[in-house]
Amino acid sequence: MADEENSPGSSMHGVTGKEQSFAFSVAADPTIPTDSTAKFALPVDSEHKSKVFKILSFANPHMRTFHLSWISFFTCFVSTFAAAPLVPIIRDDLNLTKTDIGNAGIASVSGSIFSRLVMGAACDLLGPRYACAFLIMLSAPTVFCMSFVSSAGGYIVVRFMIGFSLATFVSCQYWMSTMFNSRIIGLVNGTAAGWGNMGGGATQLLMPVLYELIRRAGATPFTAWRIAFFIPGWLHVIMGLLVLGLGQDLPDGNLSTLQKKGDVPKDQFSKVLWYAITNYRTWIFVLLYGMSLGVELTTDNVIAEYFFDRFDLKLHTAGTIAATFGMANIVSRPFGGLMSDIAARRFGMRGRLWNLWILQTAGGIFCICLGRANTLPLSITSMILFSIGAQAACGATFGIIPFLSRRSLGVISGLTGAGGNFGSGLTQLLFFTNSKYSTATGLSLMGIMIVACTIPVTLVHFPQWGSMFLPPSKDASKFNEESYYGSEWNEEEKEKGLHHGSLKFAENSRSERGRRVLSVSTPPNSTPPCV
Amino acid sequence: MAVVEGFLVATLLLSCLASTSYGVTFSSLQKTLVVSASNQQGKVLKGGEGNITITWSYNNSFPAGTDSAYKTVKVKLCYAPISQQDRAWRKTVDNLEKDKTCQHNIVSRPYSPSNNKFTWSVERDVPTATYFIRAYAYNSADEEVAFGQNTDAHKTTNLFQVEAISGRHASLDIASICFSAFSIVSLFGFFFLEKRKAKSAEKK
Repeated sequence: MADEENSPGSSMHGVTGKEQSFAFSVAADPTIPTDSTAKFALPVDSEHKSKVFKILSFANPHMRTFHLSWISFFTCFVSTFAAAPLVPIIRDDLNLTKTDIGNAGIASVSGSIFSRLVMGAACDLLGPRYACAFLIMLSAPTVFCMSFVSSAGGYIVVRFMIGFSLATFVSCQYWMSTMFNSRIIGLVNGTAAGWGNMGGGATQLLMPVLYELIRRAGATPFTAWRIAFFIPGWLHVIMGLLVLGLGQDLPDGNLSTLQKKGDVPKDQFSKVLWYAITNYRTWIFVLLYGMSLGVELTTDNVIAEYFFDRFDLKLHTAGTIAATFGMANIVSRPFGGLMSDIAARRFGMRGRLWNLWILQTAGGIFCICLGRANTLPLSITSMILFSIGAQAACGATFGIIPFLSRRSLGVISGLTGAGGNFGSGLTQLLFFTNSKYSTATGLSLMGIMIVACTIPVTLVHFPQWGSMFLPPSKDASKFNEESYYGSEWNEEEKEKGLHHGSLKFAENSRSERGRRVLSVSTPPNSTPPCV
Repeated sequence: MAVVEGFLVATLLLSCLASTSYGVTFSSLQKTLVVSASNQQGKVLKGGEGNITITWSYNNSFPAGTDSAYKTVKVKLCYAPISQQDRAWRKTVDNLEKDKTCQHNIVSRPYSPSNNKFTWSVERDVPTATYFIRAYAYNSADEEVAFGQNTDAHKTTNLFQVEAISGRHASLDIASICFSAFSIVSLFGFFFLEKRKAKSAEKK
């Protein structure tokens, strides 16, 4: 089949729930034919991707892959932020200054800016199973290295190296898109990402408890925290072995076997990159994601120490409170994606944009409150509301990203993800590294930055759908979904028929017009949508 | 929504009513105790090994009866200004409830005007820093009423340094290397094993 776009070559493909499965050209049809000849535990489509998402099942290969994938990502979050709740002990052991602690926090999120970009290529070449296993098992030694650290410099370097493992986000999302039908991939990816991000919260709970247990077993404080790091290290090794032993790249088997079948029209990377970076919306979302995921990662790094110092709590109490921040991801990220979908049903893309702006700005306002709260109950309440706002904004962002481009979806998703980490490094550098102002002031200033940097979402305009303040173009025959997605291909490529995938996607995306879709006349040269 | 609003308002009110207890301030205390420590100039105390002898007594030049309220004396290890730089968690504030200067307790004794001596061995969880010794006198309500310290008002003289244990152990280092090696070897082992299996399957 010439239109075999669901190939290993298209990273991040299928992140939206609106793309159709290409074997059968059924635009926007809710029922996708089940392949009844396939012998899988779950109903599958013609590509053997699962059509249902049964969270509590471990059925091979689809649900098993889901669980292996999100738990690996969770493990990497645990180890990247494992130092954060133990900083009150580590800072005394290594004689750290606030600058050192801030720099280590920045280092912990900077490494994955690059590793996430490389990971996409790795998934294409090695398949998601090996890409994930390689990363998680090669970063296990970096976690064990914490036992050697005896200075601020060493601490910063080790946290930087552990941070590389956050690229498992890419393998996680990629692997999901090979296993699940595009109708449900939005929910699957949002759940996998949200549950993985939870690791940043779980670690705030886990590490102080481990530290306490080890200390009670007789170790001195300065040794106990080093021993505690062995547990995340072992988790890396265990998950790596499980992924290698139990995982498979695709529903039908592993990558090397399936690469023999069929010829895949591979796109030119230079073109894909060009259309990603020349789309101004890409850069707005790079900034925005830095203010939702970025501030979430920053808060994972500073919040336990903040509660320990500001309210004189015990280490594991501060850790428990800090944990609720990251653990909120279990529902708030999927919630953001769900709200985006609900808003889109009525108002289309404009609804999604407003939803994102509201959630992210609310997060920023509660961040300001968090910094200014002087009492513990008010502080905790603000923190919880801030977490819901920021994490739901993450989910809402990835409800919009798939519509920015069809051709360059992988690169745009990668750039956005990298922007998230960059935002984290930037906010830590600006607000939490020097002693000019306290952590509380830093949080308030970060909240102000969130509110200010969310305003550019008003500039995101789609000619066929409008923007927050502007309606779509009146000239529907000139500015429609086909012309928007078709503009990523030049005449030569169109003649070769390379843009057919984009056209099909364009048809499906008509739902982003909201309730108006029924009343809009379709352009003459495309098939009418079956609504 | 209304429930959430109500909850927020209630929390706000409760937090306003919560007592912002304002404790004793350091500037209100008199320096009626004389404290001295046996540290030698330039010598660094090692965590877990070194020790220091502290003596404290009441300064009789104060009017008689000033020490009538003193019940207990707590001797503490306090951070010198140089170790407080760029470390807000060791900040000196006047309100003694919020003050973080003296975080390590050395000894607690019932008050007696003279003949107080204690040899403290540096514990293994004392961080690397520059310190001085301060003693607080408490009344029966456990509030600070007086103090004494072995340094001057600007905390520049008679300071001593402690070098903490590193917390590292050879056994930890070896375990760390073993597990790391296991991780790398098993990964590449798996990879090459599968490649060989695929190649031999292809040949058949």
